[in-house]
Amino acid sequence: MGGEPDRGRVMTSARWPLVEAAARLLERHEREAVLGDLLETGEGAWQGLLEVLGLVVRRQLSHWKNWQPWLAVFGLALPGSLVLMAVSVSVSSVYERLINDRILIGSSHATHDGFLQLLCRGLLLVGCSWACGFVMGSLSRRTLWVSIASSCFACLFCLVRFGEPSLSRLCLFIFLVPAIWGVRQALRLIRITLASAIVLAIAITALMILPPNSRGLWTLNWSLVWPAWYIVATAQRSARKVGRN
Amino acid sequence: MLGEFEYLLITAAAGLGGKAYSVAIRKEIEVTTGRRCSIGALYTTIDRLETKGLLKTWMSDATPQRGGRAKRMVRVTPKGVQAAKDFYDAVTRVSRGASWAVNRTGGGS
Repeated sequence: MGGEPDRGRVMTSARWPLVEAAARLLERHEREAVLGDLLETGEGAWQGLLEVLGLVVRRQLSHWKNWQPWLAVFGLALPGSLVLMAVSVSVSSVYERLINDRILIGSSHATHDGFLQLLCRGLLLVGCSWACGFVMGSLSRRTLWVSIASSCFACLFCLVRFGEPSLSRLCLFIFLVPAIWGVRQALRLIRITLASAIVLAIAITALMILPPNSRGLWTLNWSLVWPAWYIVATAQRSARKVGRN
Repeated sequence: MLGEFEYLLITAAAGLGGKAYSVAIRKEIEVTTGRRCSIGALYTTIDRLETKGLLKTWMSDATPQRGGRAKRMVRVTPKGVQAAKDFYDAVTRVSRGASWAVNRTGGGS
């Protein structure tokens, strides 16, 4: 810190934009104070960059002292993505079978069963993906990028190992649409009412138990049910808080 | 009980009074201890102490010498003063009879 500060030199340094870019990882007020501190002390851009990155790392690490980011990554992002990709493939194969049955057999009985199965699995996929995304977003707002990276890692792993010739690789990612929708709603702090949370949880649990789904899906899919019940628990807690106030 | 760095920070902020803000506290700690104080350590400790209710911080108005950016001002709360006093008392008590403490006060034989 010693020596006369040279703010002009620091600000016009070619590396200063790097410091400002790194500071974008901090919250607005903190960014303001830290950049002001660096300008006032006239520290070199490299030293400033190290200082900012040091603070960013400390901030990120401090989030991991809580259980929520761990649950979001190891309880949702990684296993959830893997299972939801399996459900996505399952929905796609039911759809493909349905199309083939209609073309080849043309039986109304077969197509009726197929439609029911497709509807149940489709609803289950949308409900579970949305709930997983919503819980992931609300559990780990500040560490969301780690959860997203873990989910991308799982997607990449399955994409490389995908070996179903009759289906497109893209069918793995059907779950992403409702999941991203869930994450976005969580980030917008959308409040779910207790009644709608209960309806969602019961619907997902029922769809998991119903015959068209229970036959083809794994027991591992039960891991997709807890986010919906977690939403019920948090909605109940918020309702109690509102009642007390 | 406070940590060593927390105590240094509260003492520096208390000594600076109304002029206590991040850069001044950092400079004070570096001058008195002769050790480098990183912005990361300073800001995370300020946050921790504020969460514990030992410090109060707020953003001042923007100043031209900081490129139009605001300062993070710091004030020690009564709870913070008490915590620093408790830490100081504990260090004084535990140091009683230690050779370096005795020599320093000149009370040794």
